[in-house]
Amino acid sequence: MSSFKRRATSKQNAQPQGTRILPGPTATFITSTGIPSLDDILGGGLPLTCFQLILAPDIHSAYGELVQKYFTTQGLISGQDVVVVADDPRAFVEECMWTPGAPAPSHSSAAEEEEEESSEKHDEAIKIAWRYEQMKQFQTTVSSNQSEDNYCSVFDLTCTIPKTTVDTMSSSKQLFLVEIPFPSPDKSSICQVLREILARIGPESTDANGRKPMRVCIPALGSMQWGDVEPHLRPNACASVSLPAHMCTDAWGGAGWIHKLGWLSDACISLSAFTGNPTLSSMFPKHHGFVHIHSLPTPATLAPPSDKFSTLRGLTSSGENNLAFKCMRKRLIFETLHLDVEGGVGERRTTPATTSIILDEISHEEHTHSVSEISTSGAGAAVQIQVEEIQQNIAEVVVEEKVSQENSSTKVKNVKKTKQRKKVAFTSDSPDLYDF
Amino acid sequence: MALFPPAGIPSQGELLLITDELSSPADFLLHRLTASHLKGGSEKAARAVVLTVSENVAKWKTIAAKANINLTQLIDSRSVVFLDVVSRIPLLPNIAANTIGVLKPIIDDLDSLLNEEPSKSSSTLVILDDISSLEWMGVPTQDLQRFARALAALCRKLNAALAIRHHIVTPGEPDDLLRLLLQICTYHIDVLPLSTGRSGAVSGQIALHPGPGQILRNCKPISRSAALQYKLTDSGCVFFERGTSSGVL
Repeated sequence: MSSFKRRATSKQNAQPQGTRILPGPTATFITSTGIPSLDDILGGGLPLTCFQLILAPDIHSAYGELVQKYFTTQGLISGQDVVVVADDPRAFVEECMWTPGAPAPSHSSAAEEEEEESSEKHDEAIKIAWRYEQMKQFQTTVSSNQSEDNYCSVFDLTCTIPKTTVDTMSSSKQLFLVEIPFPSPDKSSICQVLREILARIGPESTDANGRKPMRVCIPALGSMQWGDVEPHLRPNACASVSLPAHMCTDAWGGAGWIHKLGWLSDACISLSAFTGNPTLSSMFPKHHGFVHIHSLPTPATLAPPSDKFSTLRGLTSSGENNLAFKCMRKRLIFETLHLDVEGGVGERRTTPATTSIILDEISHEEHTHSVSEISTSGAGAAVQIQVEEIQQNIAEVVVEEKVSQENSSTKVKNVKKTKQRKKVAFTSDSPDLYDF
Repeated sequence: MALFPPAGIPSQGELLLITDELSSPADFLLHRLTASHLKGGSEKAARAVVLTVSENVAKWKTIAAKANINLTQLIDSRSVVFLDVVSRIPLLPNIAANTIGVLKPIIDDLDSLLNEEPSKSSSTLVILDDISSLEWMGVPTQDLQRFARALAALCRKLNAALAIRHHIVTPGEPDDLLRLLLQICTYHIDVLPLSTGRSGAVSGQIALHPGPGQILRNCKPISRSAALQYKLTDSGCVFFERGTSSGVL
């Protein structure tokens, strides 16, 4: 009998609920934000002890709040303690999304957009050149790989959290709601809230591994009642903070404000939506906004783990990818931003897309218009049209001269002017001149 | 492969200013300075005092472990001392009321620490990480300027090397605090991001400028146009000349 024994790994037991171990030499626990593609950008997830700051500088949309809701719901589903600090925390939690039906891995296909399904079916029918057949399909985003641990669930934006669930979770102290107290002259509301959160997190000295991880979610830090402070986090907690839209730009805090926020937070990402800028939304019809990464969590290393592990950022192969987000009917997705296929069609299709059909129609109309113009003039030559029009002008002027014969000399000048104007207008209007 | 920082920077009684930007944090440089100081002290025992504002000690320990330094042991033997600056200054609303000497307790603590027995006979490195966060916390700029001057004077008097880290948030437009720091420093290490954005092969670039306080011209300055590039790795960082990253990596 061999004297060698396989050493049993005992570390597995110490792993907190709903977390994973960040691959690397030192054990760092990471939690999911609820959005697989955002997890990827952060390098697998948000590490405990870190706090992420989501900036959404666009006042017309609430994508920052949406990310916060994902964060809260993911915490609730994976059985972690969640603290929500908001003006009306109960209303905030009740608006959160929920999993479609029972939380089962088989439902991941149900969450797929119908649109995508149809396009996938369509792709199957395409005949691909043999040399490309073996290649993977071009992907702009990453999806969650469903596993047995409840690390990241699939959520459906069309479902909301059941009220009974909120009730049971808040009664079992898993969900802890903190309202922003009215500021009193002796104590600022910040201090009061911080005291409540710290009481909830517990003292630093106790063993962090034996306790449940906790999430602190602050959807709108600094709105109306707040001051400005950085929460000090303990080993078993992570936090997600958003600022109101007006505070997310350099215009609010002076030059360098975003940089300061980036230094003071562990991960700072801004989601600048296109809603305020119609040119951008027409340029990138498939996306709803840009994602700018200001800083990324570096829990125990010099370089952020995201540099190594993130597929979306793509730093392992070359420079950083441009990132954008889109909010579909059922989920929010972060993906790489690509320029459209040449010709303005945003998709890789074989049948004409809706946008291209519209474009075709417009160009067709223009074409017929120009043809009709030429046909009225009698021939395709541009010079003839000119002559006709000038003749018309002169005829009009003659009529006018009959009415008032006094300023005839000035009228003649006018005639000359109209001639010139017509000429210019005509050459610019007709593209046919350049066609031949 | 190039070596950075050059040996003897900062030497005793000198002030090294390190500026960095959000996309190129200079953490690696502080860790490298500390590690080389603690390891390379030849005849004298080496000692380091780190005044921290925004970094936690646990991270310092893990990174030092990768450079084969047992920081826990050194902290126990008081060869490395971490002074938390934030706990020594009054809370935010009280800063404005307390006009004189908000940061005086820190200078006092450091003074007594450097006058301790092991310090007097050893070469000491003092690191302030970082001065910008203090400014953003609401400490008036004038107080910080006085603090920086006092810190520099104290270190020069007690023959300790000093490194101050400052975050640049408005590149190209130095603020008042940075202007002062540039005036009193011996060397200025400038950690810059790549102008073309983040890259997988190069993390950033680094320039070394001589300051007005430099007396002996014992190191060669590195201008921004010929800046050295670096890449952060798991165990530390690698420096290389511009354009040679493919040969190094």
